[in-house]
Amino acid sequence: MKRFLKWTLGVMLGLLVLAFAGLSYLAGSPKDALYMARYALPHMHRGTLKVGDDAPDARLLALDGQTRFHIRERTAGRPLVLVFGSFT
Amino acid sequence: MQIYNDYKEHADFLTVYVREAHPTDEWQMKSNVKDDVCYAQPKTLEQRMAIANDFTKRFKYPLPFGVDDMANAADLAYSAWPERLYIIDEHGYIAYRGGMGPFNYKPDEARAWLAGRYGEVKHPEKTEAAPAPKKS
Repeated sequence: MKRFLKWTLGVMLGLLVLAFAGLSYLAGSPKDALYMARYALPHMHRGTLKVGDDAPDARLLALDGQTRFHIRERTAGRPLVLVFGSFT
Repeated sequence: MQIYNDYKEHADFLTVYVREAHPTDEWQMKSNVKDDVCYAQPKTLEQRMAIANDFTKRFKYPLPFGVDDMANAADLAYSAWPERLYIIDEHGYIAYRGGMGPFNYKPDEARAWLAGRYGEVKHPEKTEAAPAPKKS
């Protein structure tokens, strides 16, 4: 039984090290992997939207800081390409 | 953004600015320091607006632009962070759903959807003229 536990723990630790190595490779370095795990992964969601779904709406603020408009206001007549992102 | 120049006669475009991906107080990238793109994560809508305006001015960004609210309503509705592309058709349905950026952010897929609908369009790339050499 002890031997089984030892092996299980060993395999789990190995997988953890592999996962961290993979994340480090993706992020660029072990430090980036830690930051990625702390700051990025909690905000990354695959989401449930799929092709054919009704497009959700949300209210946005224009660059003038005053005008508010809805995404769905921009979908009448022609397709709308939505580009989500930030500066950094 | 070439895809915008190529297809703006056929489709509307809207950039939605969402919460920062690599602010100075979270996961800052060396490339952002090198490019002098250093901002803390906005805590107010005014701060978010200021960064969005910096961005559009710095790059003379031509696309229509909207800023997500501090509740991140658009981001949450579209699972958009850190970057993502969608196309909504003229009836209000999702026609193309891009993958999560940066690894699955693929403008070529959106371009392929537009090309399938409107045909291949490729205008010459606009390049800014190099500054004239200073006279000594």
